[in-house]
Amino acid sequence: MSFQPLIISTLCLAFMAPAALAGPLTVTLENIQKQTGKIRLGVYDAAGYEAGKAVSGADVVVNAATVSVTVEGLAPGEYGIKLFHDVNGDGEMNSNPFGMPTEPFAFSNNAKGRFGPAKWDDARFEVTEDGAVQAITLN
Amino acid sequence: MTLSRRHFLASGAAGTAVFGLGQFPAFAGTPAMPDWHLGYTSAPAGGFDPEPMRLVFGQEPRGLKGCLYRNGPAQFLYGKDDFGRHWFDGDGMVQRIAIADGKAVHSGRFVQTTKRRIEQANGKFMAPGFGTAGDPDFPVSGPDDVNAANTSVIVIDGKLYALWEGGSAFTMDATTLETRGVKAWSDDLAGMPFLAHPKREPDGTVWNLAVNGRNIGVYRIAADGGLESFGLLDIGKAAYIHDWAMTDRHLVILVQPWINEAFRPPVVEGFEWRPEEGFQFLIVDKNDFSIRRWAQGPARAFYHTGAAWEEADGTIRIDAALYKEPVLGVGGGVDEIRGVWQGREARFESDLTQIVIPPTGDVRLVETGLDGDFPQVDPRRHGLPCRLTALVTGQPASRPGLSGVGVHDWETGRTDSFDFGDARMAEEFLFVPKPDRQGEADSWLIGPVLNLKTGTSEICVFDAARVSDGPVCIWRGDRAWPLGFHGTWA
Repeated sequence: MSFQPLIISTLCLAFMAPAALAGPLTVTLENIQKQTGKIRLGVYDAAGYEAGKAVSGADVVVNAATVSVTVEGLAPGEYGIKLFHDVNGDGEMNSNPFGMPTEPFAFSNNAKGRFGPAKWDDARFEVTEDGAVQAITLN
Repeated sequence: MTLSRRHFLASGAAGTAVFGLGQFPAFAGTPAMPDWHLGYTSAPAGGFDPEPMRLVFGQEPRGLKGCLYRNGPAQFLYGKDDFGRHWFDGDGMVQRIAIADGKAVHSGRFVQTTKRRIEQANGKFMAPGFGTAGDPDFPVSGPDDVNAANTSVIVIDGKLYALWEGGSAFTMDATTLETRGVKAWSDDLAGMPFLAHPKREPDGTVWNLAVNGRNIGVYRIAADGGLESFGLLDIGKAAYIHDWAMTDRHLVILVQPWINEAFRPPVVEGFEWRPEEGFQFLIVDKNDFSIRRWAQGPARAFYHTGAAWEEADGTIRIDAALYKEPVLGVGGGVDEIRGVWQGREARFESDLTQIVIPPTGDVRLVETGLDGDFPQVDPRRHGLPCRLTALVTGQPASRPGLSGVGVHDWETGRTDSFDFGDARMAEEFLFVPKPDRQGEADSWLIGPVLNLKTGTSEICVFDAARVSDGPVCIWRGDRAWPLGFHGTWA
């Protein structure tokens, strides 16, 4: 098992008040079935979660069954993660002709949806000045 | 082990002999179930290990060799009173009856779905379904999370698939019945539904549908199991499609006026019967989906077709069990699962009907007046002209289920049938061609029957040419499995 830490600098850093930065958010992605492509991960706050407007994010190259990434520059607060494994590397979340995703996807807290994406209340977690850790299992 | 009358009798007798307790206190409050409830009693969670059945009647048919695979719901109860909400939502169990050298060996295994794994771990019904609202906390990322894999089976190129209608097929080991996993016919089609009524051409090519409201996908699968093509059709409204029909040249989508615009669990509650819209038929050229036409007939509901063929002028004939209005989906077998029988309603009687779609103009229905379902034809003639349709018939007043088998001859208009009487519940019977014979009637009919006197399942074989003579032979096991839906012979 190998880990590939990846430090992300994000656009939102520019908007942060210097004193208000949270600690790093470390996300470990487990149970990756196909070691190809990349995992596209978005970090959302309450306002942007449902609308799909990320405050930060990362593309993580997949070269092992477990990979990890660190997201820095977030303000302390509540966030949710949506991610999918872009197995074929085309940048898109592929779906079948009836619109069901054909590439693995997951949410923070390993929250599950019910006929749709996981709800904010199930996916949200706190990032403090000490940061946060999320271990997310792909299906 | 599920607490049922069957198990009660078996274990209770031993218990009283050993302990002299009379009745076990734990069982004292359990109401006795009627004998027919055996057909709706959960199978053991671990399935049925292979066990020979005994020839108890007749002579084994010479040359009959192969496997009867069947699928049906087999989990109806958790604990003492958590009964399933709908017959269609019970976890699928595949039964395998291997017949060779005059001997029959039965085995059975539950399909190990996500739904079953989670519900078994929690000891209760949780997944939303056709007639089940489900636990709000049960995660549903896609249709296969609620896939009951309980409706039918098909063998393609030696590989066994357990079929549902709202989700993927499950691959199973054709010998051990071990579940291998969800089948994706291609990477792009992962998670697509695969209907429980695939149609096989005489050359082995398999066609099937994926249904999602008004959108229909069409699979064409080669005899070796490889996907040859996938196309899409729009049928204009979200009609319930359990089965369909196919001639040698056309696909026929039967659009009954039983509509579900909001496909949310419990699915059955979203259906609306709109007889004013009639029964519509979309006829699509197999080689070019852009060549299509519609035909219109009087409103009917249906679950099953037998087969279809077309004549030189383009007239299409389909045999189907039609109802004046939707049946079963509505009540869902809820009473039967609980051992309650309130009798039959005449309006829910079926009518074996030949649907005649002329090249132009309205559809005509040729009704036989024969009440039955599970129509079947000679598989060598699927999509080609044929005159015989087998079906399960006979509705005893005293209990649910069917009691007889018949073969209807469309040329003579006669039906040759046999009734087992009240003490046996008949399931779907399949045509199995006799080796080295070509005639349509040169077939056996093979299917299971639940013997309520012995409390065990049986496999019966008829000669398709002489059904009223009674079974050619009966094999009986030492155990019963619940009534199933559909099977295949391979």
